[in-house]
Amino acid sequence: MLLTALDGDETAVFKAAVASVQIQVEPVGRWFEAYIKRRNRTASASFQELEEEQQSSEESEDEEFVLQEYPMLRTLDPKDWKNQDHYCVLGLPHLRYKATQKQIKTAHKGIVLKHHPDKRKAAGEQIGEGDNDYFTCITKAIEILSDPVKRRAFDSVDPTFDNSVPSKNEGKENFTEVYAPVFERNARWTSKKHVPKLGTMESTFEEVDNFYSFWYNFDSWREFSYLDEEEKDKAECRDERRWIEKQNRGSRAVRKKEEMNRMRNLVDSAYSLDPRIKKFKDEEKARKEAEKKAKVEAKKREQEEKERARQAEIDAARLAKEKEEEEARQVAQLAKKEKEIQKKAIKKERQKLRTSCKTWNYFTEEESDSVKMMEEVEKLCDRLELTSLQSLNEILALGSREDSKVAVVKQVQEVNAQLQREKEAEVQQRQPTRSDHASAGGGGGSGKGFNEEDLQMLIKAVNLFPAGTNARWEVIADYMNLHSTSGTKRTAKDVIIKAKSLQRLDPKQKDDTNRKAFEKFNKEHSVVAATIDNAQPSERFDVAGASWTTEEQKLLEQALKKFPVTTAERWEKIAETVPGRSKKECMKRYKELVEMVKAKKAAQDVAGKTKK
Amino acid sequence: MAAIGVHFGYTCACVAIFKDGRADVVANDAGDRVTPAVVGYRETEQIVGIAAKQGRVRNAANTVVKVKQVLGRSFDDPETQTHKTENKCQLVNRQDKPHYEITAGDRPVYVVPHDVAKLILHKMKETAQSALGSEVNEAVITVPFEFAHAQKRALREAAEAAGFHVLRLIHEPAAALLAYNIGQDCSAGKSHVLVYKLGGTSLSVTVLEVNGGMFRVLDTLTDHSIGGEKITEVLAQHLAAEFKRTFKHELSNNTRAMMKLMIGADMAKHNLSSLSTANCFVDSLHDGIDFECNISRARFELLCASLFNKSIQPIKALMEKVGLSNSDINQVVLCGGSARIPRLQQMIRDMFPDVEMLNSAPPDEVIAVGAALEAGLLVGKEGLAPEEETVTVDVSATDILVKEVDESGAEVFTVLLPSGTPLPARRQHVLTGGGELSSVSLEIYQRSLKEQPEKIAKIVLRNLQPKEDKHDIDTVVTMKRDGSVHVSCVEQSSGRPEVVTIAAAS
Repeated sequence: MLLTALDGDETAVFKAAVASVQIQVEPVGRWFEAYIKRRNRTASASFQELEEEQQSSEESEDEEFVLQEYPMLRTLDPKDWKNQDHYCVLGLPHLRYKATQKQIKTAHKGIVLKHHPDKRKAAGEQIGEGDNDYFTCITKAIEILSDPVKRRAFDSVDPTFDNSVPSKNEGKENFTEVYAPVFERNARWTSKKHVPKLGTMESTFEEVDNFYSFWYNFDSWREFSYLDEEEKDKAECRDERRWIEKQNRGSRAVRKKEEMNRMRNLVDSAYSLDPRIKKFKDEEKARKEAEKKAKVEAKKREQEEKERARQAEIDAARLAKEKEEEEARQVAQLAKKEKEIQKKAIKKERQKLRTSCKTWNYFTEEESDSVKMMEEVEKLCDRLELTSLQSLNEILALGSREDSKVAVVKQVQEVNAQLQREKEAEVQQRQPTRSDHASAGGGGGSGKGFNEEDLQMLIKAVNLFPAGTNARWEVIADYMNLHSTSGTKRTAKDVIIKAKSLQRLDPKQKDDTNRKAFEKFNKEHSVVAATIDNAQPSERFDVAGASWTTEEQKLLEQALKKFPVTTAERWEKIAETVPGRSKKECMKRYKELVEMVKAKKAAQDVAGKTKK
Repeated sequence: MAAIGVHFGYTCACVAIFKDGRADVVANDAGDRVTPAVVGYRETEQIVGIAAKQGRVRNAANTVVKVKQVLGRSFDDPETQTHKTENKCQLVNRQDKPHYEITAGDRPVYVVPHDVAKLILHKMKETAQSALGSEVNEAVITVPFEFAHAQKRALREAAEAAGFHVLRLIHEPAAALLAYNIGQDCSAGKSHVLVYKLGGTSLSVTVLEVNGGMFRVLDTLTDHSIGGEKITEVLAQHLAAEFKRTFKHELSNNTRAMMKLMIGADMAKHNLSSLSTANCFVDSLHDGIDFECNISRARFELLCASLFNKSIQPIKALMEKVGLSNSDINQVVLCGGSARIPRLQQMIRDMFPDVEMLNSAPPDEVIAVGAALEAGLLVGKEGLAPEEETVTVDVSATDILVKEVDESGAEVFTVLLPSGTPLPARRQHVLTGGGELSSVSLEIYQRSLKEQPEKIAKIVLRNLQPKEDKHDIDTVVTMKRDGSVHVSCVEQSSGRPEVVTIAAAS
C-alpha cells in the first residue's frame, strides 16, 4: 500500500544513486548466454527490454512510413510485369531495397484494400478480365518482394540503381566528392556487413588500406536471374527445362562478369586516382629513398673513415721508418767517422812504431835479426790494439834503447803466445769431430759397436730390405737382432747411424769391409764345401751350381704365374719355360723364394709388433 | 546435436550426455554410472576404472589415484608433496614437474599426470560414445572453484589430448545449480544457494548468489582432509578391530589385507546409505581366514559421528564469512557421493530447517548433469564461449526500495530492484495505493547490505479519481550500466505518467 502524498510534496530527486559495481559471475546458464549474446551485439538494453524495444521500433517505423501512391498504377500492363517497378506498384518507391518485410506486407495490405477488383467493382469501376486487370501487377509485385530470393533478384537489377562508374577525368579534381557516393551506392551489393567508408583526405594508411582491400575482395550478392530471357517454369519437359537453364546460366554468367568488371573498373580507377594512395606511395618512396641515401652515406662515411685511418697508419709507418733510417745513418756515419779516426790513429801509431823501431834499428845490429824483428814488429802492428800500440809507442818514445827493446820483445812474446793459444784452440776444436769420426768409423770397438759380422749382416739387411720397405729401419734392426751372433740389441736408430756412416765411409774403410767380407765368405765356403762333401753329396751340384740369373728368375716367375697350382704337371711345364733349368731346380728355387718371402714377412711382423 | 558433460573428480569421474533436451548420466562398460578415477599400469596395458581400483591391491606401486591433486602443479607444490607421501605410486621430480615412476615393465617408465588424466577422460569419452553410438567431441568439463589457472589449463589440455573439444570449463557449484535448474526459469529475483559437496577426497562448501539468472560465488571453503575415503577408513578400522577380536590377528601391518578390507568397507558404506544393515564379506583376508561381519547403520553413524560433525563445521564458518544467516539461504544443493549418507543429510536439514534441500538427483551425478546441460547450451554456438571461468559484469550495488505501509500502518520497504542485478536491467511492478486517496507518493530508497535505507527520490501522483478498488500504479524501474536509475509510474485508470531520473554518483 503506497503512502499518501502530503501537501506540497513534489516529484523530486534527493540524492544520487550509488554507482554500479563490477562483480565476477559464473559464465553458465541460459541467462548468461543471453547476456553474452547481447553484449556481443553491443545492445544496451536488457534482455526483457530488447524484444519489446524491437517491437516498438518497428511500430514506430510503421507510423512513419507513408505509402506513396503510384500514379501510373492503373495504366500498367500486367503482361509486361517484368519491366515494371514492383516497389512503385506497392507504393514504396522511397524505401526500395531498404524496406523491411513487414513494411512490404503492410503496403501490400493497404494497396489490396484499395485496388482489389471486388472493391472496385463495388465502387462501380470497370475491371479488366482475368489476368488483364492491373491488380495482377500488384499480386506479382508482392510475389516477388515477399520471396527473399526473388526479391534479391529484382533488387539486383533495380532500375533506379546507377550503374555508372565515374570517368577518370571526373574524379581527378575532387576525388572524395565524386567517389564517396559511388562507393556508398555500390555498397548495397555487399554480402558482408560493416562496409568501410571512403574516408577523407586525412584518413590513415590503415583505413585506406582496409577500404581498398574490402573493395578489391568485394563479395557481391548481385545476380541477374531476373533478366533471364527464358522462364524455367514455362518449360514443358525436362529437356527443355535443362536447355533453358543452360541458356540462363550463360547469360547470367556474362552479366555477372560484366558486373564484376564494372566493380573492378570502379575500384581500379578509384585506386589509381586516389590522391591518398599517391601520397602514401610517395611517402613510402621518399622514405625508401631516404633510407637508401642514409645507407649509402653511411657506407661512404665508413669507407672514408677507413681510408683515412689507413693513410694515417701508412704515414706513421713511413715517418717511423724514415726516422729510423735517419738515425741508423747517423749512427753509421758516426761509427764510420770514429772508425776512420781510429784507423788513422792506428795507422799513425803503427807508423810511429815502425819509425821508432826503425830509429832503434830494430834493436839489433845484425841483418837477419833485424829482418826477423821487422816481421815481429809488423805482426805487432797487425795484432795490437790502439791502446797497447800507444803505450808501446810512449815507452819507445820515452825510454832508452834497451827499455824499448825489452818492451817490444815483451809485446812480441805476448802476441806470439796469443797466436799460439788461438792455434791450439783451433786444433782442439777440430779434434772432437775427428774423434767422432773415429768412433763411428771404428770397427766395433765401442759398446754398440759393430763387428765384422754385424757389418756384413747390416749390409745384407740393407740390401734385403730396400728403401721403401714398410718401417724399413725397424725391420732391419729386428733382422739384425734376430740373426746377429754378437748378442747386442740394436735399435733402429743405431742401425740408421751405422748405415749412414757406412755410406759415407771413406773408400779405404769400404774396401776394408769388403775385403773382410770376402775373406769370411771364402772361409765359410770352404767350411760349407767340406760339410757338403760329407753329408749331402746329392745337393752339392745344386748349391754349387750356377746361381739364378735375373733373366732366369724372371722366366720362372712368369711361368709360376702362367701355370697356377691346379695345372697338371705344373713343374714340368715350368721347367720347360725356363731354359737350362730342370724341374727339380725350379722347385728348389721356388721353395727358396717362398722361404725368403716368409722370413721377410716374419721380420716385418716382428718389427710391426715392436713398433706398436 | 549431442554434447557431453564430464565431472572429473579426485576419486571418481562421471559423464552425462545432453541429447534431445535432456541430460542423462551414462553407465560405463562395467555398468556403473560413476567411474573411479584410477589408472593401473601393467606391463603392456593401462587399466582405467573399477578394474584398476580393485587391482590396486596387487599393483599398488603402479596404480595412480587422485591424479587431479597433482595435475598442473609443480613438484615443489605442498599439495604435490602431500600427494606424494600419501600415494603408493612413486612420484619423482623431473624438470620440476612431478612424474609417476611406473615399474611395471622392464625399465621404469615416467608418466606425467597429464597423461593419466588423459586416459581417464578418454575412458569417459568412450563411455559416452558407446551410449550415444556416435562420435562426440563437444564437452564441458567441471573444475573445482579453487583451481588455479595453471591447473585449469592442464585439465583443459588433458581433455583436448583425450580428443575432446572443450566448450568451456565450468565450476562445480555452478554445474550443480544448473542441474537443478536454479535461476533458469525466470531471470528476475535474487536468491542465495548453498552448495555442499562432500566427495571422496575433499569437502567444499560454496555460497552463491543467483540474480538475474547469473551465478556469483560469494565465498567457498574447501577442506581436503574430509571425504568419503576417510569415512571408509574409519569403518575399515572398526572392521579390523572386529577381525582382531574374533581371530586374534593384527591386520594393521598387512597392507594388502587392509586394502581388501577398504574395498569391503566401501561396499558396506554404500549399502548403508539405503539399507539399515550391511554385510561386509572379505574372502581370505588374512592367513586364509575369511571375514564376514554385519554392520548396522546405527553403528556406522556412531563410528563416524565425529567425522560428520567435522564435515558440517565448515558451513557455519562460511556463513559467518559471507555475513549471511542460515535463513538467508534459499536453497541447499547436495552433491558428491558422500552426500548420500542419510545421517549427513539429516544434519544439514537440521541446520537449515525451513530451506528447500535439493537432493533428488543422485548427488554424485548432479555435477556431471549440470555440465552436460551447459554443454547443450553451448554446442553449436560459435564465438560465445569466453575463455575465462569467470566474467565480469556490471551489477547494481544497492537494493532499490519503495516505502509502503502494511495493513497495520507500519512502514515496510518493498524491493523494486535487488542489488547484484546485472545491468542494464528493467523491473516492472504493480504497486497499489488506497482507493480513497487522491494522491500517492512513491518514496524511492536505496539500501546497501544491512544498512539503513536512504531516500534518494520521491514521485508524487496527484489528482487521482477516488474509487472503490485500489489504485494500481505501474512502476517501471530501469537501471543503466553506470547505475543511474529511471523510474516511471503510470496510474492505470488515468494513464498519466510521472517520471524521475536519478543520476549515478560517479
